Amino acid sequence: MKTKKIVFFPFFKRVVPSDFENWLEKMAADGWHIDRVRQGSSLIMVFIKGLPKRYRYVYDLRAIANKDYISTYEQFGWQHLGKMASVNIWRMEYSGNRPEAFTDKESIRGRNKRTVFAISFSFILTLLASIAISIVLIFFPFIISADEKTQLIAAAVVLAIFAATLGAIMIYIHKRSRQ
Amino acid sequence: MNEKKMIKKYIPMTETMFFILLSLQHKHHGYGIMLHVKNLTKDRIILGAGTVYNSLSRLKKDGLIRTFSEDDRKKTYITTELGKKILKVEAKRLFELCSSVKPLLEELK
Repeated sequence: MKTKKIVFFPFFKRVVPSDFENWLEKMAADGWHIDRVRQGSSLIMVFIKGLPKRYRYVYDLRAIANKDYISTYEQFGWQHLGKMASVNIWRMEYSGNRPEAFTDKESIRGRNKRTVFAISFSFILTLLASIAISIVLIFFPFIISADEKTQLIAAAVVLAIFAATLGAIMIYIHKRSRQ
Repeated sequence: MNEKKMIKKYIPMTETMFFILLSLQHKHHGYGIMLHVKNLTKDRIILGAGTVYNSLSRLKKDGLIRTFSEDDRKKTYITTELGKKILKVEAKRLFELCSSVKPLLEELK
């Protein structure tokens, strides 16, 4: 029997925070558990087979996670699994009502806003980089050699695809969180 | 000066903010606030950890509450003079609402 399940780019199909939480919860219900979240977890996640459990996971993106933040969640019974990029992953086992970390409209919206903000930041960076390269290619082609030109075109295309993907994700989360 | 700015920012208050600020008339830590509000509203409002943390950091940054004590990673908070003033302004507003709703309820009976 398989005892390990490896998932690459777990965020790719589940960019909306609540989709990601529900997916982790479903995995736990099927007996697939992850006990630590690390920086690399956004690229690859390893689940270990165990008994099925009812876990509530919470996805909380924060630039600053100080000790007050950790302590407040722990007082409420949440277990900090770790942090990947700026996303904190929390977990709590439950039997009755499904526990929530965000309980009013304002903080639910705030959580989604922080996520969209972080993505728009990388969106703007990649967009600016691809525009900068395009400007060089279009207006100053004489300062670069033919060899460099192909490299720059390739870089601009990759960055533009990245920017377009991030832009689409941004709009998707924004639309979904308004529902 | 600061008081006017805070009145503008906080009033009208969300239910969450109001109950948190109300709870902090007495010192509480994060989880204690949740229990207190749960009790006050007879289980209607059960605050989550993220919501409590967000509200506390905002209230603290704006000087409406301060740290009362800190032991073993558990911080307790209490309202400041400014916090009390803002709470009073909100309480007056709610009282006004209450007085206008009373005849309405009788009319709609």
